[in-house]
Amino acid sequence: MEIFGIWIAALLTLCIYSFLYKDNLFYRFAEHLFVGMSVGYGIVLSVHQGFIPFAWEPFWAAVKPFWPGVPREAGWSGLWKLIPIGVGLLFFSGVSPRHTWLIRYPTAILIGFGAGLSIPNVLRANIFEQTRGTVEPFAAVHAGTLSGWGIFEAVLMVIGVICTLTYFFFSVEHRGPLKWISKVGIAFLMIGFGSAFGNTVMGRVALLIQRVDFLINDWIGSIF
Amino acid sequence: MKRQVPLVLCFLFGVVMCFTQFSPHSFSQSIYDEVVYWALIMSPFALAVGTITLVQTHVIRIRRRTEHWQYSFVVFAGLLTMVVIGLPFGPQHPAFAWLFNNVQVPLDATMFSLLAFLIASAAFRAFRARTFEASLLLISAMIVLIGNVPVGDLIWNTVLSWLPWDNGASEARQWILGNPNLSARRGIILGVSLGVISQAIRLILGIERSYIGGGD
Repeated sequence: MEIFGIWIAALLTLCIYSFLYKDNLFYRFAEHLFVGMSVGYGIVLSVHQGFIPFAWEPFWAAVKPFWPGVPREAGWSGLWKLIPIGVGLLFFSGVSPRHTWLIRYPTAILIGFGAGLSIPNVLRANIFEQTRGTVEPFAAVHAGTLSGWGIFEAVLMVIGVICTLTYFFFSVEHRGPLKWISKVGIAFLMIGFGSAFGNTVMGRVALLIQRVDFLINDWIGSIF
Repeated sequence: MKRQVPLVLCFLFGVVMCFTQFSPHSFSQSIYDEVVYWALIMSPFALAVGTITLVQTHVIRIRRRTEHWQYSFVVFAGLLTMVVIGLPFGPQHPAFAWLFNNVQVPLDATMFSLLAFLIASAAFRAFRARTFEASLLLISAMIVLIGNVPVGDLIWNTVLSWLPWDNGASEARQWILGNPNLSARRGIILGVSLGVISQAIRLILGIERSYIGGGD
Protein backbone atom coordinates (compact mmCIF):
# COMPACT_ATOMS: atom_id res chain seq x y z
CA MET A 1 0.00 0.00 0.00
CA GLU A 2 2.92 2.31 0.75
CA ILE A 3 4.45 1.74 -2.71
CA PHE A 4 1.03 2.34 -4.29
CA GLY A 5 0.77 5.63 -2.38
CA ILE A 6 4.23 6.69 -3.57
CA TRP A 7 3.27 5.94 -7.18
CA ILE A 8 0.01 7.89 -6.90
CA ALA A 9 1.80 10.86 -5.32
CA ALA A 10 4.57 10.73 -7.95
CA LEU A 11 2.17 10.56 -10.90
CA LEU A 12 0.09 13.44 -9.54
CA THR A 13 3.28 15.45 -8.96
CA LEU A 14 4.29 14.86 -12.60
CA CYS A 15 0.75 15.80 -13.72
CA ILE A 16 1.13 19.19 -12.02
CA TYR A 17 4.65 19.75 -13.36
CA SER A 18 3.45 18.98 -16.89
CA PHE A 19 2.01 22.52 -16.79
CA LEU A 20 5.58 23.80 -17.21
CA TYR A 21 5.40 22.55 -20.82
CA LYS A 22 1.87 23.89 -21.43
CA ASP A 23 -1.68 23.65 -20.09
CA ASN A 24 -2.81 20.07 -20.72
CA LEU A 25 -5.39 17.50 -19.62
CA PHE A 26 -3.10 15.87 -17.03
CA TYR A 27 -2.58 19.20 -15.27
CA ARG A 28 -6.30 20.03 -15.42
CA PHE A 29 -7.17 16.61 -14.00
CA ALA A 30 -4.78 17.06 -11.05
CA GLU A 31 -5.90 20.66 -10.51
CA HIS A 32 -9.60 19.74 -10.35
CA LEU A 33 -8.88 16.71 -8.18
CA PHE A 34 -7.00 19.00 -5.79
CA VAL A 35 -9.95 21.41 -5.58
CA GLY A 36 -12.44 18.60 -4.93
CA MET A 37 -10.32 16.83 -2.34
CA SER A 38 -9.47 20.08 -0.53
CA VAL A 39 -13.16 20.97 -0.24
CA GLY A 40 -13.97 17.41 0.88
CA TYR A 41 -11.21 17.56 3.48
CA GLY A 42 -12.53 20.92 4.70
CA ILE A 43 -16.06 19.51 5.00
CA VAL A 44 -14.89 16.50 7.01
CA LEU A 45 -12.81 18.63 9.37
CA SER A 46 -15.57 21.20 9.72
CA VAL A 47 -18.14 18.51 10.58
CA HIS A 48 -15.96 16.55 13.00
CA GLN A 49 -14.20 19.47 14.65
CA GLY A 50 -16.85 22.18 14.26
CA PHE A 51 -20.38 20.95 13.64
CA ILE A 52 -20.43 17.88 15.90
CA PRO A 53 -18.80 19.34 19.05
CA PHE A 54 -20.25 22.85 18.75
CA ALA A 55 -23.66 22.33 17.09
CA TRP A 56 -24.80 18.69 17.17
CA GLU A 57 -23.79 17.84 20.74
CA PRO A 58 -25.37 21.01 22.24
CA PHE A 59 -28.47 20.36 20.10
CA TRP A 60 -28.69 16.77 21.34
CA ALA A 61 -28.12 17.91 24.90
CA ALA A 62 -30.95 20.44 24.47
CA VAL A 63 -33.55 18.07 23.00
CA LYS A 64 -32.55 15.02 25.08
CA PRO A 65 -34.84 15.98 28.03
CA PHE A 66 -37.84 15.72 25.67
CA TRP A 67 -36.85 12.23 24.50
CA PRO A 68 -39.06 9.44 25.92
CA GLY A 69 -37.50 7.79 28.92
CA VAL A 70 -34.96 10.52 29.63
CA PRO A 71 -35.43 12.32 32.97
CA ARG A 72 -36.62 15.93 32.54
CA GLU A 73 -34.17 17.32 35.06
CA ALA A 74 -31.40 16.61 32.55
CA GLY A 75 -31.43 20.32 31.73
CA TRP A 76 -33.76 22.84 30.07
CA SER A 77 -31.04 25.44 29.90
CA GLY A 78 -29.49 23.60 26.94
CA LEU A 79 -32.31 25.00 24.78
CA TRP A 80 -30.38 28.25 24.78
CA LYS A 81 -27.90 26.57 22.39
CA LEU A 82 -30.66 26.08 19.82
CA ILE A 83 -30.64 29.82 19.05
CA PRO A 84 -27.22 29.88 17.31
CA ILE A 85 -28.06 26.60 15.54
CA GLY A 86 -31.30 28.14 14.25
CA VAL A 87 -29.52 31.33 13.21
CA GLY A 88 -26.80 29.24 11.50
CA LEU A 89 -29.49 27.33 9.59
CA LEU A 90 -30.63 30.67 8.14
CA PHE A 91 -27.50 30.53 5.96
CA PHE A 92 -29.39 27.98 3.85
CA SER A 93 -32.12 30.51 3.09
CA GLY A 94 -29.86 31.59 0.20
CA VAL A 95 -31.10 28.62 -1.83
CA SER A 96 -34.67 30.01 -1.88
CA PRO A 97 -34.95 33.33 -3.81
CA ARG A 98 -38.01 34.39 -1.75
CA HIS A 99 -36.28 33.93 1.59
CA THR A 100 -32.76 34.86 0.64
CA TRP A 101 -32.93 38.05 2.74
CA LEU A 102 -32.86 35.89 5.89
CA ILE A 103 -29.16 35.22 5.24
CA ARG A 104 -28.56 38.80 6.45
CA TYR A 105 -29.21 37.76 10.06
CA PRO A 106 -26.33 35.28 10.54
CA THR A 107 -24.11 37.45 8.31
CA ALA A 108 -24.83 40.53 10.45
CA ILE A 109 -24.11 38.61 13.66
CA LEU A 110 -20.79 37.22 12.37
CA ILE A 111 -19.76 40.60 10.93
CA GLY A 112 -20.70 42.42 14.15
CA PHE A 113 -18.84 39.76 16.16
CA GLY A 114 -15.72 40.11 14.00
CA ALA A 115 -15.83 43.91 13.89
CA GLY A 116 -16.36 44.25 17.65
CA LEU A 117 -13.57 41.83 18.42
CA SER A 118 -11.16 43.39 15.93
CA ILE A 119 -11.25 46.92 17.40
CA PRO A 120 -9.58 46.19 20.78
CA ASN A 121 -7.40 43.38 19.41
CA VAL A 122 -6.06 45.37 16.46
CA LEU A 123 -5.53 48.38 18.72
CA ARG A 124 -3.58 46.29 21.21
CA ALA A 125 -1.57 44.01 18.91
CA ASN A 126 -1.02 46.10 15.80
CA ILE A 127 -0.99 49.70 16.98
CA PHE A 128 0.17 49.83 20.60
CA GLU A 129 2.63 46.95 20.34
CA GLN A 130 4.09 48.04 17.00
CA THR A 131 4.46 51.63 18.21
CA ARG A 132 6.04 50.41 21.44
CA GLY A 133 8.48 48.24 19.45
CA THR A 134 9.41 51.25 17.33
CA VAL A 135 10.13 53.68 20.16
CA GLU A 136 11.31 51.22 22.82
CA PRO A 137 15.01 51.30 21.77
CA PHE A 138 15.05 55.01 22.67
CA ALA A 139 14.67 54.05 26.33
CA ALA A 140 18.03 52.30 25.98
CA VAL A 141 19.42 55.40 24.26
CA HIS A 142 18.27 57.49 27.23
CA ALA A 143 19.81 55.01 29.64
CA GLY A 144 23.07 55.18 27.68
CA THR A 145 23.18 51.42 27.10
CA LEU A 146 22.84 51.52 23.31
CA SER A 147 25.88 51.61 21.01
CA GLY A 148 26.28 54.14 18.21
CA TRP A 149 25.19 51.55 15.65
CA GLY A 150 22.16 50.69 17.81
CA ILE A 151 21.19 54.38 17.94
CA PHE A 152 21.50 54.57 14.14
CA GLU A 153 19.22 51.53 13.79
CA ALA A 154 16.67 52.99 16.23
CA VAL A 155 16.58 56.30 14.34
CA LEU A 156 16.38 54.48 11.00
CA MET A 157 13.41 52.48 12.30
CA VAL A 158 11.47 55.62 13.31
CA ILE A 159 12.30 57.36 10.03
CA GLY A 160 11.19 54.27 8.08
CA VAL A 161 7.88 53.94 9.93
CA ILE A 162 7.04 57.67 9.65
CA CYS A 163 8.00 57.87 5.97
CA THR A 164 6.05 54.70 5.10
CA LEU A 165 2.98 56.00 6.93
CA THR A 166 3.36 59.35 5.14
CA TYR A 167 3.30 57.56 1.78
CA PHE A 168 -0.11 56.10 2.72
CA PHE A 169 -1.41 59.51 3.88
CA PHE A 170 -3.68 60.55 1.02
CA SER A 171 -5.62 63.34 2.75
CA VAL A 172 -3.31 66.00 1.35
CA GLU A 173 -1.47 66.26 -1.94
CA HIS A 174 2.13 65.03 -1.78
CA ARG A 175 3.98 68.26 -2.58
CA GLY A 176 7.04 69.98 -1.14
CA PRO A 177 8.60 68.26 1.89
CA LEU A 178 5.76 65.72 2.02
CA LYS A 179 6.71 64.55 -1.46
CA TRP A 180 10.28 63.83 -0.41
CA ILE A 181 9.22 62.15 2.83
CA SER A 182 6.87 59.87 0.88
CA LYS A 183 9.66 59.15 -1.61
CA VAL A 184 11.82 57.93 1.27
CA GLY A 185 8.78 55.87 2.35
CA ILE A 186 8.67 54.29 -1.13
CA ALA A 187 12.37 53.38 -0.78
CA PHE A 188 11.66 51.60 2.51
CA LEU A 189 8.63 49.89 0.99
CA MET A 190 10.71 48.68 -1.96
CA ILE A 191 13.27 47.15 0.41
CA GLY A 192 10.40 45.54 2.33
CA PHE A 193 8.81 44.15 -0.84
CA GLY A 194 12.17 42.91 -2.08
CA SER A 195 12.77 41.08 1.22
CA ALA A 196 9.26 39.61 1.14
CA PHE A 197 9.85 38.49 -2.44
CA GLY A 198 13.17 36.89 -1.52
CA ASN A 199 11.58 35.01 1.37
CA THR A 200 8.65 33.87 -0.79
CA VAL A 201 10.99 32.57 -3.49
CA MET A 202 12.98 30.67 -0.87
CA GLY A 203 9.78 29.10 0.49
CA ARG A 204 8.64 28.00 -2.96
CA VAL A 205 12.10 26.70 -3.90
CA ALA A 206 12.21 24.72 -0.65
CA LEU A 207 8.91 23.07 -1.68
CA LEU A 208 10.33 22.40 -5.15
CA ILE A 209 13.45 20.78 -3.66
CA GLN A 210 11.24 18.65 -1.43
CA ARG A 211 9.15 17.45 -4.39
CA VAL A 212 12.21 16.73 -6.55
CA ASP A 213 13.78 14.89 -3.60
CA PHE A 214 10.59 12.83 -3.31
CA LEU A 215 10.60 11.99 -7.02
CA ILE A 216 14.29 11.03 -7.10
CA ASN A 217 14.71 9.25 -3.78
CA ASP A 218 11.26 7.93 -2.83
CA TRP A 219 9.76 7.19 -6.25
CA ILE A 220 12.71 6.35 -8.53
CA GLY A 221 14.51 4.91 -5.50
CA SER A 222 11.61 2.49 -5.01
CA ILE A 223 11.92 1.27 -8.61
CA PHE A 224 15.67 0.61 -8.71
CA MET B 1 -37.43 43.63 9.52
CA LYS B 2 -35.33 42.89 6.45
CA ARG B 3 -32.80 45.70 6.80
CA GLN B 4 -33.15 47.21 10.28
CA VAL B 5 -32.91 43.99 12.32
CA PRO B 6 -29.57 42.92 10.74
CA LEU B 7 -28.18 46.42 11.41
CA VAL B 8 -29.33 46.24 15.05
CA LEU B 9 -27.86 42.73 15.44
CA CYS B 10 -24.54 43.87 13.96
CA PHE B 11 -24.50 46.88 16.31
CA LEU B 12 -25.37 44.82 19.39
CA PHE B 13 -22.87 42.03 18.77
CA GLY B 14 -20.18 44.53 17.77
CA VAL B 15 -20.60 46.73 20.84
CA VAL B 16 -20.88 43.77 23.23
CA MET B 17 -17.77 42.06 21.84
CA CYS B 18 -15.85 45.33 21.93
CA PHE B 19 -16.76 46.07 25.56
CA THR B 20 -16.05 42.54 26.79
CA GLN B 21 -12.42 43.13 25.84
CA PHE B 22 -12.19 46.15 28.13
CA SER B 23 -13.85 44.62 31.19
CA PRO B 24 -12.16 41.97 33.33
CA HIS B 25 -15.45 41.18 35.16
CA SER B 26 -16.52 37.50 35.17
CA PHE B 27 -19.94 38.43 33.71
CA SER B 28 -18.22 40.11 30.78
CA GLN B 29 -16.01 37.07 30.32
CA SER B 30 -19.02 34.72 30.34
CA ILE B 31 -20.74 36.84 27.66
CA TYR B 32 -17.55 36.75 25.61
CA ASP B 33 -17.33 32.94 25.92
CA GLU B 34 -21.00 32.53 24.98
CA VAL B 35 -20.75 34.74 21.86
CA VAL B 36 -17.53 33.01 20.75
CA TYR B 37 -19.44 29.74 21.17
CA TRP B 38 -22.26 31.09 19.01
CA ALA B 39 -19.78 32.06 16.29
CA LEU B 40 -18.21 28.59 16.43
CA ILE B 41 -21.65 27.00 16.03
CA MET B 42 -22.61 29.23 13.11
CA SER B 43 -19.35 29.03 11.13
CA PRO B 44 -19.79 25.42 9.85
CA PHE B 45 -23.11 26.44 8.32
CA ALA B 46 -21.32 29.16 6.34
CA LEU B 47 -18.89 26.51 5.00
CA ALA B 48 -21.84 24.33 4.02
CA VAL B 49 -23.27 27.23 2.01
CA GLY B 50 -19.87 27.66 0.31
CA THR B 51 -19.88 23.97 -0.60
CA ILE B 52 -23.41 24.22 -2.01
CA THR B 53 -22.28 27.17 -4.15
CA LEU B 54 -19.29 25.16 -5.46
CA VAL B 55 -21.53 22.20 -6.32
CA GLN B 56 -24.06 24.51 -8.02
CA THR B 57 -21.27 26.13 -10.08
CA HIS B 58 -20.01 22.77 -11.32
CA VAL B 59 -23.50 21.40 -11.97
CA ILE B 60 -24.17 24.47 -14.15
CA ARG B 61 -20.83 23.87 -15.94
CA ILE B 62 -21.84 20.29 -16.72
CA ARG B 63 -25.38 21.25 -17.80
CA ARG B 64 -24.20 24.00 -20.14
CA ARG B 65 -21.26 21.95 -21.43
CA THR B 66 -18.89 24.90 -20.96
CA GLU B 67 -15.20 24.54 -21.78
CA HIS B 68 -13.50 21.70 -19.80
CA TRP B 69 -16.85 20.72 -18.23
CA GLN B 70 -15.70 17.10 -17.97
CA TYR B 71 -13.28 18.06 -15.20
CA SER B 72 -16.20 19.03 -12.96
CA PHE B 73 -16.77 15.29 -12.53
CA VAL B 74 -13.20 15.06 -11.21
CA VAL B 75 -14.05 17.77 -8.64
CA PHE B 76 -17.10 15.76 -7.54
CA ALA B 77 -15.10 12.53 -7.47
CA GLY B 78 -12.44 14.08 -5.21
CA LEU B 79 -15.03 15.74 -2.98
CA LEU B 80 -17.20 12.61 -2.62
CA THR B 81 -14.24 10.33 -1.98
CA MET B 82 -13.11 12.44 0.95
CA VAL B 83 -16.64 12.97 2.29
CA VAL B 84 -17.77 9.33 1.95
CA ILE B 85 -14.71 8.07 3.83
CA GLY B 86 -14.22 11.00 6.22
CA LEU B 87 -17.76 11.76 7.38
CA PRO B 88 -18.76 8.37 8.82
CA PHE B 89 -15.30 7.26 10.00
CA GLY B 90 -13.73 10.58 10.95
CA PRO B 91 -10.46 12.24 9.92
CA GLN B 92 -8.39 9.74 11.96
CA HIS B 93 -9.46 6.77 9.78
CA PRO B 94 -6.42 5.17 8.00
CA ALA B 95 -8.07 5.39 4.54
CA PHE B 96 -8.76 9.09 5.00
CA ALA B 97 -5.23 9.70 6.28
CA TRP B 98 -3.85 7.70 3.32
CA LEU B 99 -5.74 9.90 0.85
CA PHE B 100 -4.61 13.01 2.67
CA ASN B 101 -0.93 11.99 2.76
CA ASN B 102 -0.64 10.47 -0.71
CA VAL B 103 -2.99 12.64 -2.77
CA GLN B 104 -3.78 15.94 -1.12
CA VAL B 105 -0.41 16.77 0.45
CA PRO B 106 1.62 16.05 -2.74
CA LEU B 107 -0.87 18.01 -4.84
CA ASP B 108 -0.75 20.92 -2.40
CA ALA B 109 3.06 21.01 -2.17
CA THR B 110 3.54 20.58 -5.93
CA MET B 111 0.99 23.27 -6.76
CA PHE B 112 2.82 25.76 -4.53
CA SER B 113 6.26 24.64 -5.72
CA LEU B 114 5.08 25.39 -9.27
CA LEU B 115 5.03 29.02 -8.20
CA ALA B 116 8.84 28.89 -7.93
CA PHE B 117 8.98 28.79 -11.75
CA LEU B 118 6.27 31.39 -12.24
CA ILE B 119 7.79 33.72 -9.66
CA ALA B 120 11.17 33.43 -11.41
CA SER B 121 9.70 34.58 -14.71
CA ALA B 122 7.82 37.39 -12.90
CA ALA B 123 11.08 38.45 -11.24
CA PHE B 124 12.81 38.60 -14.61
CA ARG B 125 10.26 41.16 -15.77
CA ALA B 126 9.96 43.11 -12.50
CA PHE B 127 13.61 43.22 -11.50
CA ARG B 128 15.03 45.19 -14.36
CA ALA B 129 16.88 47.97 -12.56
CA ARG B 130 15.41 50.82 -14.60
CA THR B 131 14.68 53.15 -11.69
CA PHE B 132 16.12 53.76 -8.23
CA GLU B 133 13.13 52.05 -6.56
CA ALA B 134 13.39 48.98 -8.83
CA SER B 135 17.10 48.78 -8.01
CA LEU B 136 16.32 48.78 -4.28
CA LEU B 137 13.80 45.98 -4.82
CA LEU B 138 16.34 43.97 -6.81
CA ILE B 139 19.23 44.48 -4.38
CA SER B 140 17.24 43.68 -1.23
CA ALA B 141 15.67 40.59 -2.85
CA MET B 142 19.11 39.37 -4.00
CA ILE B 143 20.66 39.89 -0.56
CA VAL B 144 17.80 38.04 1.14
CA LEU B 145 17.98 35.21 -1.41
CA ILE B 146 21.77 34.81 -1.16
CA GLY B 147 21.76 35.24 2.61
CA ASN B 148 19.16 32.49 2.97
CA VAL B 149 21.35 29.73 1.53
CA PRO B 150 24.65 28.42 2.97
CA VAL B 151 26.39 28.98 -0.34
CA GLY B 152 25.94 32.74 0.19
CA ASP B 153 28.18 32.76 3.23
CA LEU B 154 30.58 30.35 1.50
CA ILE B 155 30.99 32.79 -1.39
CA TRP B 156 31.36 35.71 1.03
CA ASN B 157 33.99 33.96 3.16
CA THR B 158 35.91 32.85 0.06
CA VAL B 159 35.72 35.82 -2.28
CA LEU B 160 35.54 38.56 0.36
CA SER B 161 37.83 36.88 2.90
CA TRP B 162 39.89 40.09 3.19
CA LEU B 163 36.91 41.86 4.82
CA PRO B 164 36.80 41.86 8.64
CA TRP B 165 33.27 40.36 8.75
CA ASP B 166 32.54 36.64 8.55
CA ASN B 167 29.27 35.26 7.17
CA GLY B 168 28.41 38.67 5.73
CA ALA B 169 25.67 37.38 3.41
CA SER B 170 23.48 36.01 6.21
CA GLU B 171 24.36 39.01 8.43
CA ALA B 172 23.30 41.45 5.69
CA ARG B 173 20.08 39.49 5.16
CA GLN B 174 19.37 39.56 8.88
CA TRP B 175 20.03 43.32 9.05
CA ILE B 176 17.71 44.04 6.11
CA LEU B 177 14.95 41.90 7.58
CA GLY B 178 15.35 43.40 11.06
CA ASN B 179 15.65 47.08 10.11
CA PRO B 180 14.45 48.64 6.81
CA ASN B 181 12.12 45.71 6.08
CA LEU B 182 10.68 45.78 9.60
CA SER B 183 10.13 49.54 9.53
CA ALA B 184 8.28 49.27 6.20
CA ARG B 185 6.19 46.40 7.54
CA ARG B 186 5.40 48.38 10.70
CA GLY B 187 4.30 51.31 8.58
CA ILE B 188 2.04 49.03 6.53
CA ILE B 189 0.67 47.29 9.65
CA LEU B 190 -0.10 50.62 11.34
CA GLY B 191 -1.81 51.95 8.20
CA VAL B 192 -3.82 48.77 7.64
CA SER B 193 -4.79 48.58 11.32
CA LEU B 194 -6.14 52.13 11.31
CA GLY B 195 -8.15 51.18 8.23
CA VAL B 196 -9.46 48.01 9.90
CA ILE B 197 -10.57 49.93 12.98
CA SER B 198 -12.31 52.65 10.97
CA GLN B 199 -14.04 50.00 8.84
CA ALA B 200 -15.11 48.07 11.97
CA ILE B 201 -16.60 51.26 13.45
CA ARG B 202 -18.42 51.95 10.18
CA LEU B 203 -19.84 48.40 10.21
CA ILE B 204 -20.96 48.56 13.84
CA LEU B 205 -22.60 51.96 13.41
CA GLY B 206 -24.37 50.82 10.24
CA ILE B 207 -22.62 53.33 7.98
CA GLU B 208 -21.15 50.51 5.90
CA ARG B 209 -24.08 48.34 4.79
CA SER B 210 -22.77 46.56 1.70
CA TYR B 211 -23.05 43.16 3.42
CA ILE B 212 -26.84 43.57 3.53
CA GLY B 213 -26.92 43.88 -0.25
CA GLY B 214 -29.53 45.62 -2.35
CA GLY B 215 -33.33 45.31 -2.30
CA ASP B 216 -35.63 45.71 0.69
